[in-house]
Amino acid sequence: MKPVFELFSDIFAYRDNTLTRIDPRVKLVLAALAIIGIISSAEFAFPLAIFAAGLAGLLWVRIPARLILVRLAAPLGIAVVLILLQSLLIGSTPLVSVSVFKWKLDVMREGLLHGSLLGTRVLGSVSVLLLLSSTTRAHQIFHALRWFGVPKGWVEVSMLMYRYIFMLMDQAGNFMDAQRVRLGYSSLRRSLSSSGLLAGTVLKAAMDQGTRTCEAMELRGYKGYIPFGTLERISPKDLCILGLASGAIVIAYIWLEWRVL
Amino acid sequence: MRINRRFRTVIAAITSLILLFLLFSLSDAPAYAMHISEGILPAWWAILWFAVSMPFLFLGLRQLRIRGLHNTQLKPMIGLIGAAVFIISCMPIPVPTAGSCSHPCGTGIAAIFIGPLLTVVVTSVALVLQALFLAHGGLTTLGANVTSMGIAGAFVGYGTFILVRRLSGRWWIAAFLAGLLSDWATYSVTSFELATALHGSAPFGKFFLTVLVAFMPTQVPLGILEGFLCVGAYRFILTRKPELLKTFSDNIA
Repeated sequence: MKPVFELFSDIFAYRDNTLTRIDPRVKLVLAALAIIGIISSAEFAFPLAIFAAGLAGLLWVRIPARLILVRLAAPLGIAVVLILLQSLLIGSTPLVSVSVFKWKLDVMREGLLHGSLLGTRVLGSVSVLLLLSSTTRAHQIFHALRWFGVPKGWVEVSMLMYRYIFMLMDQAGNFMDAQRVRLGYSSLRRSLSSSGLLAGTVLKAAMDQGTRTCEAMELRGYKGYIPFGTLERISPKDLCILGLASGAIVIAYIWLEWRVL
Repeated sequence: MRINRRFRTVIAAITSLILLFLLFSLSDAPAYAMHISEGILPAWWAILWFAVSMPFLFLGLRQLRIRGLHNTQLKPMIGLIGAAVFIISCMPIPVPTAGSCSHPCGTGIAAIFIGPLLTVVVTSVALVLQALFLAHGGLTTLGANVTSMGIAGAFVGYGTFILVRRLSGRWWIAAFLAGLLSDWATYSVTSFELATALHGSAPFGKFFLTVLVAFMPTQVPLGILEGFLCVGAYRFILTRKPELLKTFSDNIA
């Protein structure tokens, strides 16, 4: 639980820097544009350029390098397996032949190329998501999503979930520490029993808290929906940033993908 | 030629197993339930899986809205249950074959308590939060991940629980199989989604089987462990606070 607790946080978005001051709607549009460009790219250059820009942005706003690596580890793990599978199963041009006992194993050029493209796409798009989440607070993202027309019910559930995840995670962490102290995870059998108990406790705590939260919300005038209000107009400065950055992304895509400039 | 092809499939699967083992053994980062990462699916496949998942999400939101008219406490309660399911999906479970910890999906247990359609809504929110703040899954792969975890996991888990409980009358068998099969359904559908999008010139069946085999060392034991987790959680609620089960079943009805 502890590593997840450290990872799952928008604490960096509460810092004051140039990127956190940009309107969240602008950042969402730019992130979407970059990711769409990445998943539709057929060359390595564009995803790698976005990855480099994303990484530079993350380091610029002083996100710890270890955190970036840890967050990239899981998606890259799946990508590495897929690269391997594609290299061995797809294509007809052998690049490298390895003899294992009496059989010959071929690494195919087409599969390796496609697999590597996949890897760069993962790097590029995950870095965009990391930059977005490191510079935009969760509630700002939810308000921006509502502004873009995401259903109210979904946004309400998201906000409630996000609010209570930290509280329940704290409780679950304390409970897990207590289980560990009592050697609750000393063997597989005890681990299973402890995990089941922990899951049940978290569910029960959620329901108890749910009842209290409902009462508190009703006392404050809750009638079954959260009023969202209206977001301010996007400032001219943020509109300029949107225009310039989206222009840069489009030009980079045309230049690096189609080689026409 | 035929032998060579078969051999390549076997070698690919074995090498993937070793690589996965090394990845999970050497890395101190936790291994998560099978999410398709951002950037893996090509644009058209991402759109297709969004189209598949949207009707279920729409029905889930409709159910939430209609029930919310009569019960103002429903939304906060679903939010809290969603948060609990998110925490459960982050709980480390030791997977002996991977030599490390992995994480359950949590959709089976959620479906037992709040029903499959509301589980789709809760799963979609959890997946967005995981994509943004943990870099697991992604926004363009959200449709595919909702289809595998939210729809396949929730409906298989819920259906299994109801069916087995009616047939056997024993809640613990029903809860175990719900956890087990919901996890395996998620894993199978994810493998299917990966194979359809990425098989390229290789035969689809061969690629699908290879992906299944590649993720087997973590996902097969994880499913069994999730079954036990489901039993433990259900037993806890049943013995400590059985009235909650009535609240949950009222929500489903």
